[in-house]
Amino acid sequence: MLILLFQSFLRATGVRLGLGFLLAAGLISLLVGRQFLDRQQRHRHEVGAAQQAELRQLAQFHAKEMGLMLYYAQFGLVNETPPLAGLSIGQRDVNPAVQRVTIRGLEAQKYDADLHNPTNLLLGNLDFSFVLVYLFPLLIIAFTYSAVSEERENGTWRLVAVQSRYLPGFLTQLFAVRLAVVLAVLAALLLLAVPVLGLPLDASLGLFAGTAVGYVLVWFGICFWVASLGKASGTNAMLLVTAWLGLLLVVPAAVNQYLLVRYPLPEALATTVRQRKGYHEKWDLPQAPTVARFFAHYPQFRHFPLPATSFNWLWYYAMQQMGDDESAPQAGELRRKLYQREAASRQLALLLPSLHAQLGLNDLARSGLGNQVRFLDETSRFHEQLRLYFYPRIFGEQPVAAEPWDRHRVQVFTDRAPLRPAGLLLPPLLLALLLAGLGWRNFRRHLYQL
Amino acid sequence: MPLSPFRLIARHQWHTLLRERAVWLLLGLVLLVAAYAAAAGWTTYRQQQATQVHYQQQARRDWLSNPDKHPHRMAHYGHFAFRPRAPLSLFDGGMDRFLGNAIFLEAHRQNPVNFSEAGFSTGLLRFGDLSLALLLQVLLPLLLFFLGAGTVAADRENGTLRLLLTQGVSWPQLLLGKAAGLLAVGLLLGVPLLALTGGLWLAAQGGAPSLDEVLRFGLLTLFYGLYLALCCGVAVLVSAASRTARTALVGLIGGWLLLTMVLPRAAQALGSYVYALPSKTAFQTAIQADISRQGDSHNPDDPHYQALRDSVLRAHGVATTDQLPFNYGGYVMAEGEKISAGIYTRHYRRLLDTFRQQNQFARSVAFLDPYLALKNLSMALAGTDFLAYTRFQQQAEAYRYALAQQMNQLQIEHIPNRKRPPTEKDHTIDRAYWQRVPEFRYQAPTVQQVLRAEWVSVAAFGFWGLLLLGLGRRAATRLTAL
Repeated sequence: MLILLFQSFLRATGVRLGLGFLLAAGLISLLVGRQFLDRQQRHRHEVGAAQQAELRQLAQFHAKEMGLMLYYAQFGLVNETPPLAGLSIGQRDVNPAVQRVTIRGLEAQKYDADLHNPTNLLLGNLDFSFVLVYLFPLLIIAFTYSAVSEERENGTWRLVAVQSRYLPGFLTQLFAVRLAVVLAVLAALLLLAVPVLGLPLDASLGLFAGTAVGYVLVWFGICFWVASLGKASGTNAMLLVTAWLGLLLVVPAAVNQYLLVRYPLPEALATTVRQRKGYHEKWDLPQAPTVARFFAHYPQFRHFPLPATSFNWLWYYAMQQMGDDESAPQAGELRRKLYQREAASRQLALLLPSLHAQLGLNDLARSGLGNQVRFLDETSRFHEQLRLYFYPRIFGEQPVAAEPWDRHRVQVFTDRAPLRPAGLLLPPLLLALLLAGLGWRNFRRHLYQL
Repeated sequence: MPLSPFRLIARHQWHTLLRERAVWLLLGLVLLVAAYAAAAGWTTYRQQQATQVHYQQQARRDWLSNPDKHPHRMAHYGHFAFRPRAPLSLFDGGMDRFLGNAIFLEAHRQNPVNFSEAGFSTGLLRFGDLSLALLLQVLLPLLLFFLGAGTVAADRENGTLRLLLTQGVSWPQLLLGKAAGLLAVGLLLGVPLLALTGGLWLAAQGGAPSLDEVLRFGLLTLFYGLYLALCCGVAVLVSAASRTARTALVGLIGGWLLLTMVLPRAAQALGSYVYALPSKTAFQTAIQADISRQGDSHNPDDPHYQALRDSVLRAHGVATTDQLPFNYGGYVMAEGEKISAGIYTRHYRRLLDTFRQQNQFARSVAFLDPYLALKNLSMALAGTDFLAYTRFQQQAEAYRYALAQQMNQLQIEHIPNRKRPPTEKDHTIDRAYWQRVPEFRYQAPTVQQVLRAEWVSVAAFGFWGLLLLGLGRRAATRLTAL
């Protein structure tokens, strides 16, 4: 019986067309992911090579002054792109994966944008997460909207009801066949992704697949529930497409709009304007108070004497430091708001399977806002280390040639924020079960109505 | 006077559609979403506008409050340019979210435009922007497809089509009548949405709108009207060619999905694959390499600047730069700025060309996908497209260059050549000079420039209109009632 159901289902041209389309889109998405990973890889190499070459050249140009050398020298920090990001590019195309900072004021450098074509960003990536989140539900809708209603409309339901030994069993099989086909497509794409993107077989990949399966189950739940209402095929299609529009176009966009209004970010501009003032106004003030404040921040450098010249590097870097120190409240507020946005969208996502899936996949692929904020935090730490390392060498006027510049390689940040399997897997499973239960109750009421 | 069959059919279609309670429900739902989109859009617009004006003024105050200084210090103090939002961005946000909002303009350096909304957004951003334009571009066409799928096919299914045709109604009358009735229902929603847009747009002007703004709004209305008519035509034609309303619906939804969801992304992906971009590092390294080749003012042994010094010394008949009648340091910096800005602009133009090629690729796909034509035109007229953005960047760079050179000129003219001993304060000039630097003002491209940049989209619109007419004609002679 089950085999017959499979055969009759797979024989329909519409079904084959749908499957072919989904597989083609899935394959393209894997190629898009591969291309993205290659690009990231290439950039990473370029940064490494550029840093070596530039440091060498600068050390030649400014051999006499450590302070001047470090005015120019840039040090790179790379936000490591895990292969999973090829499946869910998320915000990775917006945010730069490389930060190159000098030891001067950080706030003036931290938010430097990448080179990108805004049109590409606007239209979005055709990555696997897009195929999963947008296209899989449509296929599920197309496969199931008339699964039961069509039998009723054609009059075959009576035959089935009379001949089937156990009607609920038949109903289950009807949906199980479709679920199996959709999951097979999902599995095929993910399996193919392993060699194409070079995915390691680890917990992240398992959770990624689990999240994807959970999302598919939710949509089957929705379709099952709609089918249980006993409406005509046309009405089912209308209801399901409306649900799709709501969950994928209208509600997420509305939620995003709400977050923007709820957590506006004037702090971004505030930080940058304050930082400029904090640094530049020190040029017109006496040196001693600025340097005193610098020593209050870094007591360990107190023993360096302030030279009596109208310009000296101790004073210069103290001024730069003041730009950061004085804009710290605004910068802290900005950071806090970013975390709030992230937390708020996560909470709202618990109720909306589409958001939950997309944000969950981004988390696993380390391509969401959380990753970006952690990378910014790491940039601050990295920058602070550079300062602590170079400040004494500048103030102590260490010769430029004495520094092993070749050892200052590009550093890599690997995001190891913990994953939360329960938070990823439970909400969709519970929702799918709830929908299936509700649908089952409806079906029981009129399963034998012919 | 008896009504013509065309008007009768149109009227009948209108009544049939509006008899359904579900249709009213959907219309109400869309209006509700529109109200939310308008309210939220207005709030963000006001917030962003206020923030931007506030910091623009603060940055200006900071600039003016500088005391007497060495002009080169002011060249580094620099200025900010904030990207203002166009009034029609309330209707169609376009690329706004993905574009940087502030750029720091200083001597020697071309900084990126930073702080885009997208950089501070969660993955939610990728679900799109809830704007009135989204409703008109995406949702309303789908609604029309839902309503239009049955226009002819349902009549065919229940046999009324045969009756109609035997009673002397011609195919053209039937198709046009059905399409007109459908369009009327579409306008029932489209007109309030455009009226809402008009209200927001007027409120955002803070005064009478300029002729340019009026033209933009008028053209937007025109193109959206055309697009809705196009959708109605397509819906009726597909319905007429389908045996049942259900096959028509499946075809229309499938087409909608392909054209609004999949094809735009695929086209852009292919475009950016064909025309690859350099990385930021590669871009900067290439610029630096060119500067080193042509003359690096930061390299003390640079041959270009050595030659420059020798020729200046010879021309003035002096032995050292200290004896020159003007400030030589300022002169060298002016030269350096000229060289580096020229090289930067050359590289940046090349980058823009790559962007344009990528975009043009996707834009040409509008001949396959009318949705792209509308989307691009809408963004362009709303002032939230690529053209408006590059204008902002270029004007900001021009302002930066003028500022840096103005400071260099002040140094050349007013700063003595002989440096003070290291223990004394540096030379300064009067703070009154800071007043002379004008504020940055962004000039949006005119409607003519916008249309010139979007000619492909306009042509695609024309192409689709003609195609639809042709198909309609063909259908009228070939269709059968069965």
